[in-house]
Amino acid sequence: MNRPRLDFLAILRTLAAHDVDFIVVGGVCGALHGATITTFDLDVVHSREPENLGRLLKALDDLEARYRTPGKASRKPKLSHLASEGHQLLKTIGGPLDLLGTVGEGHSYEKLLPETVEVNAGKGLKVRVLSLPALIRIKQETATEKDKLALLILRRTLKEKSRK
Amino acid sequence: MAGKKGKAVAARPKARAAKPTHSKDGVDLTLIRWMMSLTPAERLQVLQNNARSILRLRGE
Repeated sequence: MNRPRLDFLAILRTLAAHDVDFIVVGGVCGALHGATITTFDLDVVHSREPENLGRLLKALDDLEARYRTPGKASRKPKLSHLASEGHQLLKTIGGPLDLLGTVGEGHSYEKLLPETVEVNAGKGLKVRVLSLPALIRIKQETATEKDKLALLILRRTLKEKSRK
Repeated sequence: MAGKKGKAVAARPKARAAKPTHSKDGVDLTLIRWMMSLTPAERLQVLQNNARSILRLRGE
Protein backbone atom coordinates (compact mmCIF):
# COMPACT_ATOMS: atom_id res chain seq x y z
CA MET A 1 0.00 0.00 0.00
CA ASN A 2 1.28 3.45 -0.86
CA ARG A 3 1.36 6.09 1.84
CA PRO A 4 -2.32 6.68 2.53
CA ARG A 5 -3.90 10.06 1.95
CA LEU A 6 -5.86 11.09 5.00
CA ASP A 7 -9.49 10.94 3.92
CA PHE A 8 -11.94 10.35 6.75
CA LEU A 9 -14.88 10.97 4.46
CA ALA A 10 -13.76 8.17 2.13
CA ILE A 11 -13.56 5.73 5.06
CA LEU A 12 -16.99 6.77 6.33
CA ARG A 13 -18.43 6.49 2.82
CA THR A 14 -17.05 2.97 2.41
CA LEU A 15 -18.45 1.84 5.77
CA ALA A 16 -21.83 3.34 4.86
CA ALA A 17 -21.76 1.75 1.39
CA HIS A 18 -21.53 -1.64 3.07
CA ASP A 19 -24.35 -0.79 5.51
CA VAL A 20 -22.02 -1.15 8.49
CA ASP A 21 -23.59 -0.16 11.81
CA PHE A 22 -21.12 2.09 13.59
CA ILE A 23 -20.84 5.21 15.74
CA VAL A 24 -18.15 7.85 15.24
CA VAL A 25 -16.44 8.70 18.52
CA GLY A 26 -13.14 10.39 19.43
CA GLY A 27 -11.58 13.44 17.80
CA VAL A 28 -13.54 13.26 14.54
CA CYS A 29 -16.76 13.15 16.56
CA GLY A 30 -15.60 16.18 18.55
CA ALA A 31 -14.72 18.08 15.39
CA LEU A 32 -18.09 17.27 13.81
CA HIS A 33 -19.67 18.88 16.87
CA GLY A 34 -17.49 21.99 16.38
CA ALA A 35 -14.57 21.31 18.70
CA THR A 36 -11.20 22.64 17.54
CA ILE A 37 -9.44 19.31 17.83
CA THR A 38 -6.94 17.85 15.41
CA THR A 39 -6.68 14.12 15.07
CA PHE A 40 -5.00 11.75 12.66
CA ASP A 41 -7.25 8.75 13.07
CA LEU A 42 -10.91 7.92 12.82
CA ASP A 43 -12.34 6.15 15.88
CA VAL A 44 -15.54 4.18 15.49
CA VAL A 45 -17.43 1.79 17.74
CA HIS A 46 -18.97 -0.93 15.60
CA SER A 47 -21.86 -3.27 16.24
CA ARG A 48 -20.51 -6.73 17.00
CA GLU A 49 -23.61 -8.47 15.71
CA PRO A 50 -22.44 -11.33 13.42
CA GLU A 51 -24.14 -9.93 10.29
CA ASN A 52 -22.60 -6.53 10.85
CA LEU A 53 -19.16 -8.04 11.31
CA GLY A 54 -19.46 -9.70 7.90
CA ARG A 55 -20.35 -6.36 6.29
CA LEU A 56 -17.55 -4.64 8.18
CA LEU A 57 -15.02 -7.19 6.97
CA LYS A 58 -16.05 -6.53 3.36
CA ALA A 59 -15.73 -2.78 3.89
CA LEU A 60 -12.27 -3.30 5.40
CA ASP A 61 -11.27 -5.31 2.31
CA ASP A 62 -12.28 -2.36 0.11
CA LEU A 63 -10.29 -0.06 2.38
CA GLU A 64 -7.28 -2.42 2.20
CA ALA A 65 -7.20 -2.39 5.99
CA ARG A 66 -4.15 -3.82 7.75
CA TYR A 67 -2.99 -3.67 11.36
CA ARG A 68 -0.62 -0.86 12.16
CA THR A 69 0.40 -2.23 15.57
CA PRO A 70 3.84 -3.77 16.06
CA GLY A 71 3.69 -7.55 15.97
CA LYS A 72 0.56 -7.57 13.85
CA ALA A 73 1.73 -5.03 11.25
CA SER A 74 0.43 -5.65 7.75
CA ARG A 75 -1.90 -8.45 8.87
CA LYS A 76 -5.52 -8.31 7.79
CA PRO A 77 -8.11 -8.06 10.56
CA LYS A 78 -10.16 -11.21 11.04
CA LEU A 79 -13.76 -11.71 12.05
CA SER A 80 -12.69 -12.99 15.48
CA HIS A 81 -10.71 -9.78 16.09
CA LEU A 82 -13.68 -7.61 15.19
CA ALA A 83 -15.95 -9.63 17.48
CA SER A 84 -13.84 -8.79 20.52
CA GLU A 85 -14.32 -5.89 22.91
CA GLY A 86 -10.79 -4.74 22.13
CA HIS A 87 -9.43 -2.02 19.88
CA GLN A 88 -8.24 -2.85 16.38
CA LEU A 89 -5.74 -0.20 15.24
CA LEU A 90 -5.70 -0.29 11.46
CA LYS A 91 -4.25 1.58 8.52
CA THR A 92 -6.38 1.96 5.42
CA ILE A 93 -6.24 3.70 2.05
CA GLY A 94 -8.09 6.58 3.76
CA GLY A 95 -5.72 6.76 6.72
CA PRO A 96 -5.67 5.29 10.23
CA LEU A 97 -8.91 3.69 11.43
CA ASP A 98 -9.45 2.50 15.00
CA LEU A 99 -12.26 -0.01 15.37
CA LEU A 100 -13.37 -0.16 18.97
CA GLY A 101 -15.39 -3.10 20.25
CA THR A 102 -16.16 -1.05 23.32
CA VAL A 103 -15.10 2.38 24.51
CA GLY A 104 -14.53 3.94 27.93
CA GLU A 105 -15.63 1.64 30.69
CA GLY A 106 -16.99 -1.02 28.40
CA HIS A 107 -19.61 0.87 26.37
CA SER A 108 -20.72 -1.15 23.36
CA TYR A 109 -22.42 0.02 20.17
CA GLU A 110 -25.84 -0.99 21.51
CA LYS A 111 -25.28 0.80 24.79
CA LEU A 112 -24.15 4.00 23.09
CA LEU A 113 -26.83 4.07 20.41
CA PRO A 114 -29.43 6.04 22.46
CA GLU A 115 -26.84 8.77 22.98
CA THR A 116 -26.07 9.38 19.33
CA VAL A 117 -27.14 11.91 16.74
CA GLU A 118 -27.07 11.72 12.97
CA VAL A 119 -25.04 14.32 11.08
CA ASN A 120 -24.41 15.05 7.42
CA ALA A 121 -20.69 14.44 7.02
CA GLY A 122 -20.64 15.70 3.43
CA LYS A 123 -22.17 14.97 0.04
CA GLY A 124 -25.32 13.69 1.68
CA LEU A 125 -23.55 11.07 3.76
CA LYS A 126 -25.37 10.63 7.06
CA VAL A 127 -23.31 9.21 9.88
CA ARG A 128 -24.17 8.44 13.47
CA VAL A 129 -21.95 10.20 16.02
CA LEU A 130 -21.90 10.21 19.78
CA SER A 131 -23.62 13.24 21.32
CA LEU A 132 -21.23 15.83 22.71
CA PRO A 133 -22.26 15.32 26.38
CA ALA A 134 -21.80 11.56 25.99
CA LEU A 135 -18.42 12.01 24.29
CA ILE A 136 -17.24 14.16 27.20
CA ARG A 137 -18.57 11.77 29.83
CA ILE A 138 -16.97 8.71 28.23
CA LYS A 139 -13.66 10.46 27.63
CA GLN A 140 -13.61 11.38 31.32
CA GLU A 141 -13.92 7.73 32.30
CA THR A 142 -10.50 6.80 30.97
CA ALA A 143 -8.86 10.18 30.46
CA THR A 144 -5.11 10.19 29.84
CA GLU A 145 -3.01 13.37 30.04
CA LYS A 146 -3.54 13.88 26.31
CA ASP A 147 -7.30 13.49 26.74
CA LYS A 148 -7.39 16.16 29.42
CA LEU A 149 -6.50 18.84 26.88
CA ALA A 150 -9.15 17.57 24.49
CA LEU A 151 -11.64 17.54 27.37
CA LEU A 152 -11.05 21.23 28.05
CA ILE A 153 -11.91 22.03 24.43
CA LEU A 154 -14.89 19.67 24.35
CA ARG A 155 -16.37 21.18 27.52
CA ARG A 156 -15.96 24.71 26.14
CA THR A 157 -17.54 23.63 22.87
CA LEU A 158 -20.53 22.24 24.76
CA LYS A 159 -20.83 25.48 26.71
CA GLU A 160 -20.72 27.58 23.53
CA LYS A 161 -23.25 25.27 21.91
CA SER A 162 -25.64 25.66 24.81
CA ARG A 163 -25.47 29.46 24.45
CA LYS A 164 -26.72 29.35 20.86
CA MET B 1 -25.52 62.82 26.91
CA ALA B 2 -24.69 66.26 25.46
CA GLY B 3 -22.34 67.17 22.62
CA LYS B 4 -19.52 69.73 22.93
CA LYS B 5 -21.78 72.56 21.77
CA GLY B 6 -24.62 71.50 23.91
CA LYS B 7 -26.29 69.61 21.06
CA ALA B 8 -28.15 66.60 22.17
CA VAL B 9 -26.49 63.47 20.95
CA ALA B 10 -28.58 60.41 20.49
CA ALA B 11 -27.78 57.93 23.16
CA ARG B 12 -25.84 55.04 21.71
CA PRO B 13 -27.44 51.68 22.08
CA LYS B 14 -25.94 49.98 25.04
CA ALA B 15 -22.96 48.07 23.77
CA ARG B 16 -23.48 44.37 23.90
CA ALA B 17 -21.32 42.73 26.51
CA ALA B 18 -18.28 41.60 24.57
CA LYS B 19 -17.93 37.86 24.41
CA PRO B 20 -14.67 36.68 25.91
CA THR B 21 -12.10 35.53 23.36
CA HIS B 22 -10.58 32.90 25.64
CA SER B 23 -11.81 30.76 28.49
CA LYS B 24 -10.14 30.91 31.88
CA ASP B 25 -8.29 27.73 31.03
CA GLY B 26 -6.91 29.25 27.83
CA VAL B 27 -9.18 27.73 25.18
CA ASP B 28 -9.60 30.03 22.15
CA LEU B 29 -13.36 30.53 22.08
CA THR B 30 -13.26 32.52 18.83
CA LEU B 31 -12.08 29.41 17.00
CA ILE B 32 -14.80 27.29 18.55
CA ARG B 33 -17.42 29.88 17.54
CA TRP B 34 -16.02 29.90 14.04
CA MET B 35 -16.10 26.09 13.83
CA MET B 36 -19.66 26.11 15.08
CA SER B 37 -20.65 28.54 12.32
CA LEU B 38 -19.74 25.80 9.81
CA THR B 39 -21.79 22.78 8.85
CA PRO B 40 -20.61 19.37 10.13
CA ALA B 41 -19.42 18.55 6.60
CA GLU B 42 -17.34 21.74 6.49
CA ARG B 43 -15.94 20.97 9.96
CA LEU B 44 -14.82 17.57 8.74
CA GLN B 45 -13.08 19.25 5.80
CA VAL B 46 -11.32 21.67 8.17
CA LEU B 47 -10.16 18.77 10.32
CA GLN B 48 -8.87 16.82 7.32
CA ASN B 49 -7.11 19.83 5.86
CA ASN B 50 -5.45 20.64 9.21
CA ALA B 51 -4.30 17.08 9.72
CA ARG B 52 -2.98 16.84 6.14
CA SER B 53 -1.09 20.13 6.56
CA ILE B 54 0.57 18.89 9.74
CA LEU B 55 1.53 15.60 8.10
CA ARG B 56 3.01 17.51 5.13
CA LEU B 57 5.03 19.73 7.48
CA ARG B 58 6.31 16.63 9.26
CA GLY B 59 7.33 15.25 5.87
CA GLU B 60 5.01 12.26 6.21
